[in-house]
Amino acid sequence: MQKVFNNKMAIFLFVFPGILLFALTFLVPIVLSAYYSFRDTLSPGTPSAFIGFANYTELLFHDSRFWLALRNAVLLGLGFILIQHPIAIFFAIMLDRLGGKAEKWFRTIFFIPCVISVVVISKMWLSLLDPTFGAFNKMLDSLGLGFLKHAWLGDGSTALVSMLFILIWAGFGWGLLFYYAGLKGIPDDMYEAASLDGASGFRLHWRITVPLLSPVITVQITLAMITALKQMETVFLTTNGGPGDSTQFLAVYLYNKAFSASQYGYANAISILFIIVCLLATYLSNKLTRSDATEF
Amino acid sequence: MTKSTKTILWVFFLIVALVQLFPLIWLVDFSFLSSNEFYSSSVLKWPSDPQWQNYINAWVDGKFLRYFINSAFVTSVTILLTVILSLTLGYAFTRMQWKLRSVFFTIILLGIMIPIHATLLPNFAIFKALGLTNSYLGLILPYTAVSVPLGTFILTGFMRSIPRAMEESAVVDGANIYRIVFQIIAPLTAPALVTVIVTTFLNCWNEFIMASTFLSKDALKTLPFSVMNFAGQYSSDYGSQFAVMVLTSIPAIVIYAIFNEQITKGVTAGAVKG
Repeated sequence: MQKVFNNKMAIFLFVFPGILLFALTFLVPIVLSAYYSFRDTLSPGTPSAFIGFANYTELLFHDSRFWLALRNAVLLGLGFILIQHPIAIFFAIMLDRLGGKAEKWFRTIFFIPCVISVVVISKMWLSLLDPTFGAFNKMLDSLGLGFLKHAWLGDGSTALVSMLFILIWAGFGWGLLFYYAGLKGIPDDMYEAASLDGASGFRLHWRITVPLLSPVITVQITLAMITALKQMETVFLTTNGGPGDSTQFLAVYLYNKAFSASQYGYANAISILFIIVCLLATYLSNKLTRSDATEF
Repeated sequence: MTKSTKTILWVFFLIVALVQLFPLIWLVDFSFLSSNEFYSSSVLKWPSDPQWQNYINAWVDGKFLRYFINSAFVTSVTILLTVILSLTLGYAFTRMQWKLRSVFFTIILLGIMIPIHATLLPNFAIFKALGLTNSYLGLILPYTAVSVPLGTFILTGFMRSIPRAMEESAVVDGANIYRIVFQIIAPLTAPALVTVIVTTFLNCWNEFIMASTFLSKDALKTLPFSVMNFAGQYSSDYGSQFAVMVLTSIPAIVIYAIFNEQITKGVTAGAVKG
């Protein structure tokens, strides 16, 4: 037995291809990125000079867009955690109580947006929220709320909220499915015991279901924060950070810096800080939510 | 739960489902309209004269078939590689005895947290130097690299719950390590493998930003580009734009309809064990 599990050749064959691929697409690029971040490169392959930490000091102390992008990510993450996730938990509980064929059907329907490509989702919502022919404004009109009509993504004051709305719509199915899966792991006798003690309805779920779901909630909160930080495609394909940076996110910012503004070195400095922020956020949210969970 | 509460719940869910699906219903509805009908005041409009021409435009000028074949090829190879690599890595991390095991495991897991967008710029330079841009491999390699960390994470969680007895008796019967992994462990991890396959499929099939950075050759482009190309060429023909969006969404929805049950089971298994 030991001999089989110590088989050095097998270990090498099992691990090496994966590690090699990982190194090629993650580690080498990060090292290269760090190298570029200390230079004033305009685009890859062009001559450049070493400029020390200039890119970083510019980013951290003089670039308000960088901080704006981070703030937007935090707001988006809070939006996910405070709006999307409670709704998902609520629907998961209701769905679990529904039972039978209907449960299966609704579960299937709610997940449909999750299989649609981000390009279609972005272009579709761009049309839905279009000020001239979009269905959203027409609906407001037919409800007699015409005065609310708006260029939802075209106005800096509503663009980020609209973005949150689109992303909640697109990601709701995943949240629901994870919480639903978590609920299926709670044994029925827990509920029976609690209802014998006189708990029912909302109280039952608040006292029993939510605490028992806390491991799932912990993971989901961390994932929500990471999703918000990594936000790129939907923004890139709808507002591209605008209007006036109101929906600016780190990934969009660095992409435009590299490929539109020809500031490749600077963009790589954003990349490096971006990675650090993501790792830090994972670490912090793990630490915070873990200590929370022990209360139960 | 009484019958009446159940009915109320049912009606409530029906309304929510309709609200949630409304954008898609609207998309399909308007894909059959001509562009000047877009400006009427009605929210939904019965297509009295369905514009099939929109779909012909989408099929022909959206290069649907070409891009579909590219997507199918890239996604299948990526799934195959991801499954093999995640399975062997997962096994090496949970069962095999070696020194740097936990170090490498942590490194691989970092891949879940590191944003691909941050590695996009240097990867573009590296792939260009290696001649990988504008090739299938230029998509398959990064797609696999992005999928393997999550796949390994899901599989290690699942493998830890598999009792060792099966492997022990296989060793007694004289099976070597490769047979154990591919003929005994692989079938046992089937539910988790389904989760890996499904998440990999959804991520790669719909991926856009890497494809648009690494590819410029038209013959290699994947399905999301049908929609992108259309926005320029048919920028004022909304009906055709909507038709191409509907058309490119159909494959993933069909796959979902077929594997719906396994997806839920896979995620359930993953969520409970992970």
